[in-house]
Amino acid sequence: MNLFRPLLALFVIVGTCLLSARWSEHHEAHSPFLALYAHLMPAALVSGPHEAPEYLLSVPAGWAPAAFDANPGEPGTQFVLTNLQLFQLCAVLLIGICFSGVPRYLRTGKGDPLTRVFAGFVHWVRDEMVYSTMGREMGRRFLPYFLTLFFFILFMNLLGLLPGAATATASIFVTAGMALTTLGLMLVGGMIAQGPIRFWKSLVPHVPGWLWLPMFGLEIVGLVVKPFALTVRLFANMTGGHMVVLSFMGLLFLMAQGAGALATWATSPLIVGFAVFIMIIEAFVALLQAYVFTILSIIFVQASIHPEH
Amino acid sequence: MIAEGTELARMGAAVGAGLAAIGAGLGIGRIGGSAAEGIARQPEAAGEIRGAAIVFAALIEGAAFFAILIGVLILFV
Repeated sequence: MNLFRPLLALFVIVGTCLLSARWSEHHEAHSPFLALYAHLMPAALVSGPHEAPEYLLSVPAGWAPAAFDANPGEPGTQFVLTNLQLFQLCAVLLIGICFSGVPRYLRTGKGDPLTRVFAGFVHWVRDEMVYSTMGREMGRRFLPYFLTLFFFILFMNLLGLLPGAATATASIFVTAGMALTTLGLMLVGGMIAQGPIRFWKSLVPHVPGWLWLPMFGLEIVGLVVKPFALTVRLFANMTGGHMVVLSFMGLLFLMAQGAGALATWATSPLIVGFAVFIMIIEAFVALLQAYVFTILSIIFVQASIHPEH
Repeated sequence: MIAEGTELARMGAAVGAGLAAIGAGLGIGRIGGSAAEGIARQPEAAGEIRGAAIVFAALIEGAAFFAILIGVLILFV
């Protein structure tokens, strides 16, 4: 049995978690809850001694508003590398590792366990999600994008459950980026499939003339709300799950501060049990939200390339 | 982070979060009930009904998350 790919994937996952834990900036807060919630925010990657940390990478971005300035030491708006980027890169690497053997497996039937699992996954996404909604003809053209989207989100969600890891999808900027690509595909795909003028005209259903302009505005708003809902749904699901777990952990610290060691030990099985229960739900939600994001993207793109009327 | 004199706003955020949960719970409950009914009537269509139910539940959840987001904004902004 060829275990090269599973071991390589494991190496990448563990390596990213260790690197993130090693480089992440440390937070200081008075309340245990705030100290725990700080882990939901992206942490800048720093190196050097604890007292005088140096940013691993700081890129000047003069065009961006000052609210996004992450490095006050340097003049102008600066973007810094955060641990979310580390896990995005890890997800990309994992996609490369897990799927590099899939084409050969589909052609020859030979592959290691990891490849076989993900080949089945690819078939499931293709047949149950893309082909069943868009049809075989159109589905073939859009399949690469939706496969990438599904597995990118899935890997980022699942990586976020590991100890020492950060969830890249729990940042609204990451999810907004993915929703914007879907919006771009909706607009460009729709304009290519229907022609640029027919696409904008067919947004509006058949209404009396005076209603046309308000309806057009409404449909434009609808077009923007769809990716916005995608953004908020994924972001809020991943953040919410982590927030509940961190709240349980915070209760533990609150007990230790206020009620003494004995009470903390006595209640810890209950609190940790609840936290583990939420973690199990989160593992399910990680898969479910990747599914939901992808299937809604498929439905939106399908609706924009084939108007209903 | 939380300024003085915003107790009423914080209460409003908490009440709003509760109301959003009630609304989403009612909606998802109806979807779940109808999906179970549909699967009981037509077990051969279970897969399709389940997929559609998940998508509808996700749409309702999105609406609830808008409410939660506004609650969070009231709390922290």
